[in-house]
Amino acid sequence: MSQSIKINDKSYPIDVDGDMPLLWFLRDKLELTGTKFGCGMGLCGACTVHIDGQATRSCVMPVSAVAGKTITTIEGLSENGDHPLQKAWLANKVPQCGYCQAGQIMNAASFLATNKKPSSYDIDNAMQGNICRCGTYQRIKQAVSDAAEEMYKEA
Amino acid sequence: MSVSKQNTVSNESRRKFLKQSGLATGGLVLGISLPQTTIAGFKMGEDSTFNPNAFIHIADNGDTLIYCGRCEMGQGISTALPAAVADELEADWTRVNIKQGEGNEEKYGSQATGGSASIRTMYIPMREAGAAAKVMLVAAAAKVWGVPAQDCMADNHFVINKNNQQKLGYGELASLAANEQVPASVTLKEKKDYKYIGKDIARHNQGDIVVGKLTYGVDTKMPGLKYAAITHCPVMGGKLKSVDKTAAKQVKGVIDVIEIPRFEVPFGSLGGVAVVADNTWTAQQALKKLKIEWDLGEHQSYDTKAYKAQLVKNVESPAQLAAERGDITKAFAEAEHVVKATYTGGHLSHSPMEPNASVVWVQKDSCEVWAATQSPADIQKVLGQYLKREPKDIFVNVTMAGGAFGRKFKCDYVHEAAVLSQAVNAPVQLTWSREEDMRTGYYHSINAQHIEAAVDKDGNVTGWLHRAAFPAIASLFDPSLDRAPANNLGDVDNHPFGIANYRSETGEAKAHTRIGWYRAVYAIFYGFAFGSAADELAHKTKKDTVSLLNSIYDNNKNAEQAEQVARSKGALAMAAKMSNWANRDKLPKNQGLGIAVHYSFNTYVAMAVRVEVNGEDIKVLEVDAIVDCGQVLNTDSATAQMEGAVVMGMSLSLRTEVVFRDGAVVNSNFHNYPVLRINEMPQVNVHFMENDYKPTGLGEPGLGPFAPALANAVFAASGKRYRDLPFKPMSM
Repeated sequence: MSQSIKINDKSYPIDVDGDMPLLWFLRDKLELTGTKFGCGMGLCGACTVHIDGQATRSCVMPVSAVAGKTITTIEGLSENGDHPLQKAWLANKVPQCGYCQAGQIMNAASFLATNKKPSSYDIDNAMQGNICRCGTYQRIKQAVSDAAEEMYKEA
Repeated sequence: MSVSKQNTVSNESRRKFLKQSGLATGGLVLGISLPQTTIAGFKMGEDSTFNPNAFIHIADNGDTLIYCGRCEMGQGISTALPAAVADELEADWTRVNIKQGEGNEEKYGSQATGGSASIRTMYIPMREAGAAAKVMLVAAAAKVWGVPAQDCMADNHFVINKNNQQKLGYGELASLAANEQVPASVTLKEKKDYKYIGKDIARHNQGDIVVGKLTYGVDTKMPGLKYAAITHCPVMGGKLKSVDKTAAKQVKGVIDVIEIPRFEVPFGSLGGVAVVADNTWTAQQALKKLKIEWDLGEHQSYDTKAYKAQLVKNVESPAQLAAERGDITKAFAEAEHVVKATYTGGHLSHSPMEPNASVVWVQKDSCEVWAATQSPADIQKVLGQYLKREPKDIFVNVTMAGGAFGRKFKCDYVHEAAVLSQAVNAPVQLTWSREEDMRTGYYHSINAQHIEAAVDKDGNVTGWLHRAAFPAIASLFDPSLDRAPANNLGDVDNHPFGIANYRSETGEAKAHTRIGWYRAVYAIFYGFAFGSAADELAHKTKKDTVSLLNSIYDNNKNAEQAEQVARSKGALAMAAKMSNWANRDKLPKNQGLGIAVHYSFNTYVAMAVRVEVNGEDIKVLEVDAIVDCGQVLNTDSATAQMEGAVVMGMSLSLRTEVVFRDGAVVNSNFHNYPVLRINEMPQVNVHFMENDYKPTGLGEPGLGPFAPALANAVFAASGKRYRDLPFKPMSM
């Protein structure tokens, strides 16, 4: 019996070699290309997705290891592209080439789920696994901080 | 007010290639023809034939499409230029869509996107096209109302009858406007009336980026697509001796294993072996099972440590004359102080986040390419040569590039996909691994520069010797070169420093790997040498670096460089002001402020860098970047370019270097090519000089002043002078 995997609320059979990293299952099999290939070694963070809510580098995660789990990719982070991080990214005009930004946003979303009031140091610490070669770091920091405020503001 | 007299715009509404472009019929379509010789004093191609380089299409419902012929790699050109068109067109920006033009230089003019040239060369023609379209829309409305055109005005996608405030939308007017004469001359807007030019406008594609919808070269999908991975000969000029494909071919999902010989044209494949499979991962896995023996060839002993040491020797002894003025011997004989220093730097890898990738489908009668590229025409040329077809028969879909920095000017990764597509008779997507991207580059030149400066008893810098040795980009085209051609020192010879007695020399430096354009190119090391040497001179003569620089600029008596002198000094003065240079002695004990200014790619950038040094640890706290690029087109993307220059500047100043041993690159991935991460990001403040100079580009000029400003700051903080880039290389 084939195993299956739930991605962005949809179930898919794992019909590939179980050693295939989740990244390539997403990109080449499901053609969900929002998750990017950057290094293949878990060094750059471009391939970050959520596995049961936890930011994970999909380039080093065999697809068989996530059978039965719930995966969220950038395409499924919010229904209308209106996650507070996505809004903060636009307001701060973060992207340059944009290639790393899906990974940055997914990493930040997982981080903010557990840290409601991140300090500058917390943000650096949480985000330093995600490389941006264009150099958008200053804006990423601001956007993460803005999103945290938006997400956890007093009602 | 500037009036363009060139008839640069043509009405394409009925031309047959509209259909080829897949545009809806109806509405107004304008092509823009470059006035080749008149753009901002910058010489374009020699070709004076009809060269429409952009299209404006206004549909009958008012939807407006503007094509960008220049390639987008994150620098924001596909927002900045169309916004300038929209400004002159008096368009409603929310009604404007932007499309990347396919590879077609006959249609779009030069698409080679580099040299920070897009804005410098395209700003006026793009605006003229917008202005011409506006004139035609106004003329059409005037006819409808039976009033003179001067009684009408365009505003926010409408033409308004000034007599009675009646309005007609651009959509209603588009087809009528298509029947109007293209104006022989247009009047461009005045600065005070700009609506989009010089404003903070978000890049048009950021909405797609944050939801993962924007597709890059590596994201191309189509029915029947096969996937490939490649490994290259580790040494330039080596050849495949043997390959055992047996194990690789047995991997389930592998379609074929294909040898790709080196294609000896500029930007052709270095040579390698590729696996084609039904997905990328399978291809990568099978690739590891190949047993390959290479004949490494003549460059197999290349060792960058030894090579750099040799470059230093080559610049610390007489070399070949490049340029000379005045009497340098006399200046040094009469000098009160002489400062001598040698500066060096390593190879760099562009390492954009999107590795080299492309899809090519070669069929009997067609060849179609989907790729991130900085030069679609080079793809057409190289694939044309390889397939023995006309360049125009190679159709290039230019995708968004996930960073490029000069690497994607070269199309070896596209040529290889063409070889594979032909071999397996299917569309093939070739994705290089990060390791291949890092090891099979076109590297920034390893380099050494020796400066000797003479200072007279009054503190004037009277003599300057600048000896440089680096393998030149020209070696790609002429491998027999044993040093950089004299004209590669042109930016040194023409630097606006005023030094009466001057000599430049080029030292021996044969290339042992492929050298390429890397963001800012030679300005990285020229800027480092000028900016560091000035600070060393100031220290030696007990002067303030800013006043010393000012005195050097003031000694420039060449009237043709008066503007360069004034603008360099202006940016420097603003950097001093913003960074509180005058009070730098009041900084905490471990902190230091460094300053530098550099002119490159027609733009002036001054930077002041504040650091804290604790032992060996250098922490960059704050950077003030002052930019004089004339009229700024888009303050948002211009600011982003400076932030990016600081980040790339920190990577190459502090840590990154490509190391060769036994002919091959030792680095492999980001663990041993440690580019800057967010935890080291300093505060960056960007300021633009206000003036009416013509706009110039910003993709590169931010890098020149950064490394010297940083070195000077570290010296101020700690007394330690770093003369070798990167300051703190990894031990490999």
